[in-house]
Amino acid sequence: MDEAAIEELELSDAESFEEVQLTAAQVIEMMEEAWVNEKFAPEILPHKMEVVDCLLGQIAYMEENLQSLPSTDFKKSIHQLEVDRLRFLVSSYLRTRLEKIETYVTHILKQEQQRHESKEDLYLSKQELKFAKEIAEALKQNFDGLVSFYPGLPLEEWVSQPVQPNMHSFVFLKSKKDVNEVVIDDGSIATEGESDLVDFREGAQILIAYSSVAGLLKKGDVKLI
Amino acid sequence: MPLPSSYSPNYFSIDDILATQERTPCKFLLNVPKMGQLNPSAAERDLKAGTSLELPLWLVIEMSAGRQPIITPELPKVFRESYREILKADACAVDLHKYSLHFYEVGSYVKHFDRRGDVHEILLHTFKTRYRQLMDLADNSVSDPSVQHSLDTLEKRIFVASHSARTKLNSWLIKSGSPLEAAELVVNHKKRKRVDVDDMK
Amino acid sequence: MYGEKAYALVKECANHENSLPPYNASLVQEVSNEIRTLVEENQEDAQTSTEETSDSGSVVSTIRLRHAAVKRNLRCLMAYHYNRLRLLRKMRWEFGSILPADIKSNLSPAEIEWFAKYSRSLASYMRSVGDDGLNLAVDLKPPKSLYIEVKCTVDYGRYELNDGTVLLLKKDSRHYLPRSECEELVRQGVFEHIL
Repeated sequence: MDEAAIEELELSDAESFEEVQLTAAQVIEMMEEAWVNEKFAPEILPHKMEVVDCLLGQIAYMEENLQSLPSTDFKKSIHQLEVDRLRFLVSSYLRTRLEKIETYVTHILKQEQQRHESKEDLYLSKQELKFAKEIAEALKQNFDGLVSFYPGLPLEEWVSQPVQPNMHSFVFLKSKKDVNEVVIDDGSIATEGESDLVDFREGAQILIAYSSVAGLLKKGDVKLI
Repeated sequence: MPLPSSYSPNYFSIDDILATQERTPCKFLLNVPKMGQLNPSAAERDLKAGTSLELPLWLVIEMSAGRQPIITPELPKVFRESYREILKADACAVDLHKYSLHFYEVGSYVKHFDRRGDVHEILLHTFKTRYRQLMDLADNSVSDPSVQHSLDTLEKRIFVASHSARTKLNSWLIKSGSPLEAAELVVNHKKRKRVDVDDMK
Repeated sequence: MYGEKAYALVKECANHENSLPPYNASLVQEVSNEIRTLVEENQEDAQTSTEETSDSGSVVSTIRLRHAAVKRNLRCLMAYHYNRLRLLRKMRWEFGSILPADIKSNLSPAEIEWFAKYSRSLASYMRSVGDDGLNLAVDLKPPKSLYIEVKCTVDYGRYELNDGTVLLLKKDSRHYLPRSECEELVRQGVFEHIL
């Protein structure tokens, strides 16, 4: 397995920040959770490229081993299928992210810029950011060409109203631990102390507006299902 | 593998553009010089205050907003009291498609022209009442396309989405596997080619 | 009424949700002309507005109305192009980086340029994943088995597998092949997966 990639993995809940050796099964589990979360969350989530790189390393390692097995070995086909399934997992995760990046590109780049300015971690990986900038540029060029027939047209609308994810859409989630007093976002602007609260018990399954739980999801207290 | 998207129109939304093309009656409060051409029943150069016209929503929204509105909008016919009464009585029996192709979208715009909130209420009522029937249709209609005829565009989209979800679930329950398929656009492309060939015969 | 042509343009998108009709250059031109005329009329009126206010009302209303029409026209124009690009994007994923000639002939030069740029960006992104890159255009569905049975729908000709075996793909011939090697051909409609 790729040693370097594992060392980059620091689990936030590991108390002394000591680097944790993850088993292959744990990596796969983390990837699966990231994949499902990304699939069902309306907005793009902070990237999990360390998990992706780790799993890709694992896949490469497994494939190498498979090469050495004779093609008549029954075990080979079982392992090959496993490798294929893992590759699907990673590909599907990255594809989902690309779809979001492309759909909400203007919005996402704006947010990344804000995160950059306030020194927060970016949500996109370096490669994704490069890709996002390229396609934003390509879109801009296409539009520029379109409206170049007359200078100074009122174009502020498409810039000020970029395509955005609907943060109020509903998601199914499972709570990974007890969380108290989650504020329910019912779409109205409630003043403090007036909004409804709900407690999640560990293992509870809930249907709720994404905006109410976006923070919890990014912290890893809940996962989408 | 499209993103699961909930309903949220944006600047480029085709449906939203089509909906804002629908017309609603309104009355001009001010003279608008040189715009007489907008009124097909008069041949004057200026559009006079007091003129009543049916204008598309995109224009109505712009012209009735701001500190000095140029027009006052009225509700389109299907959102007026008599029609609202029909919806209140039995929303399921209504051919919403005939009311308006974009009933809910248009409604969510014109509800601002109605200060008492009746339109707001009837939109919610209509959707809630019809939703149950819609789900029932999506779950049970095999392939009868006629059931879709009385739905507005939003309902139709929900119907198609839930119908295809139901079909997928069924096939998964039966076969527990999904075949590899040719891509949607590829299939369309081939179909059209076939039509082209047929045309030439 | 203003914006009718722009509306027709958007209607074209609405009528072809899953195919790309020929790029309507002449209608795009007409919409652009309408925008230009409106903007020019507004500029003219803005300069002379002080003179004409008294009896026929303020020309400010006229300008506001035209401005609304300009914005509407622009929105339709943008939406037409934007939605075509979205469809084109989908095609990149389904047909690959080389489009069938009859589709390509429906595109505007700017669209062809965009497609090339998009393909390049996508390819370079895929190469940058992990250590040796990852082709994201395959593995679209979770694999259930290594080998699948497929039926050939066209006379495709010779096809070489990874291990060097060469198959002759004839219409209606059936093959039992590694899934990974025929997924793309299934997507392109050459093979049909038999369950």
